[in-house]
Amino acid sequence: MKKIVAMALSLTMAVSMLTACGGGSKETKAETKAESAAQTTAESASEKAAEGETLKVALCVTGAVNDMGWCQSAYDGLKLLEEKYGAEIAYTENIQAADMVAAFTDYAANGYDIVIGHGFQFGDPALEVGAQYPDTKFICVEADVSSDNVASYVMKCEEGGYIEGILAAHMTKSNKIGFIGPIEGASLIKIMNGFEDGAKSVNPDIEVQTAWTGSFTDTALAKEAAQAMIDGGVDFIAHDANECGNGAIAAAQEAGIYATGDSYDQHELAPETVLTSSMYNVPVLIEAAYNDIANGEFKGEVKYLGMAEGVVEMAPYYDMESVIPEDVRKEIAELIEQIKSGEFVVPCDTTAR
Amino acid sequence: MLEQILTISFFTAFFSAMVRMAVPLLYAGLGEVFAEKAGILNIGMEGVMLSGAFFSFVGAMFSGNLWVGLLFGILGGVIVSMIHAFLSIHLAQNQSVIGLAINTFVLGITSFFAKIIKEGQSYQQLKTFSTIKIPVLSDIPLIGNALFNQDIFTYLLYILVILMTVFYAKTALGLSFEAIGEHPRAADAAGIPVHKYQYIAMLVNGILGGIGGAYLVLVQLGVFSENMTSGRGYIALAAVILGRYTPVGTAGAALIFGGANALQIRLQAVGVPLPAQALAMLPYIITLIALLGSIGRSNEPESLSKPYIRGSR
Repeated sequence: MKKIVAMALSLTMAVSMLTACGGGSKETKAETKAESAAQTTAESASEKAAEGETLKVALCVTGAVNDMGWCQSAYDGLKLLEEKYGAEIAYTENIQAADMVAAFTDYAANGYDIVIGHGFQFGDPALEVGAQYPDTKFICVEADVSSDNVASYVMKCEEGGYIEGILAAHMTKSNKIGFIGPIEGASLIKIMNGFEDGAKSVNPDIEVQTAWTGSFTDTALAKEAAQAMIDGGVDFIAHDANECGNGAIAAAQEAGIYATGDSYDQHELAPETVLTSSMYNVPVLIEAAYNDIANGEFKGEVKYLGMAEGVVEMAPYYDMESVIPEDVRKEIAELIEQIKSGEFVVPCDTTAR
Repeated sequence: MLEQILTISFFTAFFSAMVRMAVPLLYAGLGEVFAEKAGILNIGMEGVMLSGAFFSFVGAMFSGNLWVGLLFGILGGVIVSMIHAFLSIHLAQNQSVIGLAINTFVLGITSFFAKIIKEGQSYQQLKTFSTIKIPVLSDIPLIGNALFNQDIFTYLLYILVILMTVFYAKTALGLSFEAIGEHPRAADAAGIPVHKYQYIAMLVNGILGGIGGAYLVLVQLGVFSENMTSGRGYIALAAVILGRYTPVGTAGAALIFGGANALQIRLQAVGVPLPAQALAMLPYIITLIALLGSIGRSNEPESLSKPYIRGSR
């Protein structure tokens, strides 16, 4: 009897775990028709597109496509390709490092024209599989690899950081500003450095305090980091700390100072505190990659996309517009135009300072 | 650099941070002391805390009342600890396996529900419990602000540590609870209802663990985020061992862990020229050093994590 109860319980737990994961871990879902047999013709993707044939696009993500964050943003991009260009799409969720090569090989062998790996982790697997399947184009988001048929598409997130830095330098009264990051990685370091460069372009003597929480989820520690800076005289907090950045904003709100948001528009979280947020528009990035391939403009290179392409964007000021002096708003608006036109290039530094 | 650190204001702020970081650890740690003294190792403390954090947010958000949030947080903690209790006491299953299963399960289910309730909208941070400044005492230099300008949960902890110490040292009931962790068969023979007491111990474990998690939401952050406990449940387990299964010892250990973490993040902000990763190791280095000091003096309850089955040998 006890064993049956135990089994029933563990079964319930297992089932709820699966539900929580949003489906089986390696289940591949073909959105449109069943996957066709392997394509043997060496027709290039751009030729196919020119002839009006649909391109087959596959997406590989490390988490769930409904995570309301990083993975979902790529899925939104994929859906966009289906709706706007009639692409035939498929995706695989929850891919662990060990399964990346297998997932890529699966899609390439099944004749997919474009395979997208969403995250820098997909870089090396793409090179490995790409060498075996020259007819498939591999796109890696935020990676730094390239070969004949592998390209990396990187967001110029430092542009957002730079603008936030300028805003912070104008808004601070103590000339001390703070920036909180999660885990030290190139794509996060460049935002922090962009922030510092932006602030120092306004006031070279400004003090920029920085801290890494060493975690994407430790919200309380991020708050403590912000509190430490506030105790040290900082009166403006920025972050690129994903979920745990909420803690940084909470500290700023309590202290009655201003902050900026990251990744998405964080205005709602603390309307009196968050001046603006830098937002990263992944669907636009994926659309750009698709168009490059469809138009035959694909190059095996590391491609950087930013404000000019609409990939990086600043959120509106909302009611906080009134607290930001008009000349500051004007300066920022002009600089954004210069960045878009290519007149001004935000320095990108991915080494920790 | 050094002149920035060696100031009264730096240390005053640091001690406050140390207490803030230690409070959730200590709630979970005291709950764990209660369970472990009764012979039950709840590795699932991380899950208990996370559940407490999540449900306190749900309760406070939908009712608009922080006390309702607290009640929900406690219930959230108790539900998880009761699952553990049923599996470990009633079904006498392996407690390490149960604990790990619970942690993974709670992480999955709270993240899942958090996405459902946040779907399509973002929330303003909840207003949190405010601090209550105790006059005179809070003016003591260095530690006054840290100890006597805190929220109600911190003050409750002072009382709780004293009460628990008295409970185990001076009362017959406390001795009974300790006995079932040391030698359940002897306790049973002496007429102590072992399983009933173990359930009660797990109930307390869930209540305190739930408060520990709810503290993060209702006092510190006002918002729930995925996996926000980030290993605090495990640190609490370590604090219990380091504190040698005593309430006062656990309080000291929680302060060491909280202090180390508060120190490393503060040193980063000041700009100490060390890599962030090296500073992040600080809490664990301190743990290792502290554990070296307790070699050969184990106070672990004799029957910890051994299921007691009546009548079996």
